[in-house]
Amino acid sequence: MRRKKTKRGASAPAVTTVVVMRLYIANSAPNSVRAVANLAAICEEHLKDNFKLEVIDVLEYPLRALADGILVTPSLAKVSPLPAAKIVGNLSDKKSVIHALGISESVE
Amino acid sequence: MKSDLRLPNPYPSSTNAARGFEKVILRLVKSGPERRAIEAGQVDAVMDTASGTAVLLPEAQRALIERKARFHQLSRLAYDWFWEQDDLYRFVSHTGAANGSSGIFDESIIGRTLRDPPFDSMSEADWGAHRRLLEWRAAVRDLELRCTDRAGEVRWVSINGEPTFDEQDQFKGYRGTMRDITLRKQLEALAQKPLRLACDTLDALAVQVCVLDAAGTVISANKPAGAFAAGSRSIGAVVREGANFLEVCDKARGSDRVDGVAIAAGIRQVIAGDSPLFHHEYVCNSPAGRSWFNLTVTAFSGDGAARVVVSRENVTERKRVERIPGDGATRVVVSRGNVAGHMDAEGEPAANRLLAALPRKDYRRLRAGLEPVTLTYGEVLYEPGDPIRHVYFPNNCVVSLLETLKEHEALEVGLVGREGMVGIPLALGTDVSSVRALVQGSGTAMRMESAHFHKAFKQCLPLQRELYRYANTKLSQARQSAACNRFHGVEARLARWLLMTRDRMGMNDFRLTQELLGSMLGVLRGAVTKAAGALQQRKLISYSRGNIRILDGNGLEAAACRCYQIARSLHS
Repeated sequence: MRRKKTKRGASAPAVTTVVVMRLYIANSAPNSVRAVANLAAICEEHLKDNFKLEVIDVLEYPLRALADGILVTPSLAKVSPLPAAKIVGNLSDKKSVIHALGISESVE
Repeated sequence: MKSDLRLPNPYPSSTNAARGFEKVILRLVKSGPERRAIEAGQVDAVMDTASGTAVLLPEAQRALIERKARFHQLSRLAYDWFWEQDDLYRFVSHTGAANGSSGIFDESIIGRTLRDPPFDSMSEADWGAHRRLLEWRAAVRDLELRCTDRAGEVRWVSINGEPTFDEQDQFKGYRGTMRDITLRKQLEALAQKPLRLACDTLDALAVQVCVLDAAGTVISANKPAGAFAAGSRSIGAVVREGANFLEVCDKARGSDRVDGVAIAAGIRQVIAGDSPLFHHEYVCNSPAGRSWFNLTVTAFSGDGAARVVVSRENVTERKRVERIPGDGATRVVVSRGNVAGHMDAEGEPAANRLLAALPRKDYRRLRAGLEPVTLTYGEVLYEPGDPIRHVYFPNNCVVSLLETLKEHEALEVGLVGREGMVGIPLALGTDVSSVRALVQGSGTAMRMESAHFHKAFKQCLPLQRELYRYANTKLSQARQSAACNRFHGVEARLARWLLMTRDRMGMNDFRLTQELLGSMLGVLRGAVTKAAGALQQRKLISYSRGNIRILDGNGLEAAACRCYQIARSLHS
């Protein structure tokens, strides 16, 4: 599946590349709120302005989530640069998020 | 799911959320990472592909319900009522204190709009404007309405609302909140009472009062001032809020010019803080008659910014009483060194010699076209090339006729006082002035419109005779003064000129600046200073700051050139 591909093929994009992401949440449920806060902190620290984030409330737009192949919320999908990636959960594991977004090497 | 949790979409599968949730999850989520996340408690909702909805996990559901309840509680603190309206803006539901003790509304409000009772403060126009806002589906913010509660008391409410739409984005109506603001409204009304009392007091005064800001703009004016502004064309006509008092004073023309300049200068002084008070008395001519005004400007620090209060009192009545009757003597009212106006009997028939020389019945016929006016020092009656609209028969003012050569200062070529008329060209067949006619000494005159004058001149032989004789005298005088200007010394000419002015004004005091004297005599200011100094040393005149007084008339005649005697004999 997509997720497996990304883990193996994660490459380091140039730091100036704009990372496009979608975060799927369930209104203001606890884990969703946490996910938003965690992601905001990571973006602030590692991406500065080089990212685009769309937050989708699945309670309002469930069909959108289904079309994007999302099964649970919160979930974060990296759309570009390729390869695409998906992280499930409240994004409290910072390391794995950074890794999945492919920005680990540029940070270190 | 509890019924009061109104989320954008219903979740049919979440009704059995608490029980058997495991089963659902097992059915929906098969892959490892998702399962692990659920077990770690990091997931809020699971997507149900079959129904196309999101299924909240019990934990998340509880949190959302709690949050919703908390929001309700908090907003209840801020508002007294919640309401909903349908697409025709009729109330369909209301909750909150409305049902309870405050009791403005009961069930009867259902089906009514904000236009209907118990609301009673919306006019047709207000309602139209409000409806337009609603048609645009705009949010309603702080709409304050008056209404009558069930006990018949007047109450005020503040209304906020937002449009609501259904899933197909169709407009459903409005919903929002309402707050009882009766107490605030009452306090506001109470606070305005003393203010209104002060305003009413100002309006009740007979004195016109207005407040100017540092730029001279009228910030506020009391009612008498407003009424005066509406009824007058003179300097007073500015007291409309938003008008600029200084500008109007600066622009004042005609007989108001000198007063306008003086008042503007005084106001500027007070604004700048150079002087705490300015006082000026002046005369206004209006179709209704002559009025005297007493103008006082005082500094005032209202709200921290520099402000001045201009108050003006109509003192015409007092002036009429003060006027010295009988001897026809004139009194000079001096304010801050400016001649503000002369008072005399209102256009007594004999004041102008030319008119006085006419037979009584001719004079009576002329009288209808004559209008008394006050001419003020510095006023220009004609400029060279101007059509002559009026002729003037001075009573006690002096008008100087000046030849203005382009590259030189003006030179005086004639002086008209009570012995003559300003506007002689009309009698000689031209209606355009060739000279500048400048008022040298303030005073009154009788004025006649040129059309009227033409008619009178044709019909009245004695007037023709008098005017021709006067015109001839003027010509002789002009010849005389041409020679005088060429051959006689400045001192002698100054003496002659002062005597001629005295004869025409009928008084020994008058106001003249050195610049003006210089241009009258066609010499530089220094020469005037020297000549005036010499006359003063001989105790013939006294001269200070433009005010001249003749101390010794005979002595001055002796000092003057012979031209004075010749000119005088021409008149008598």
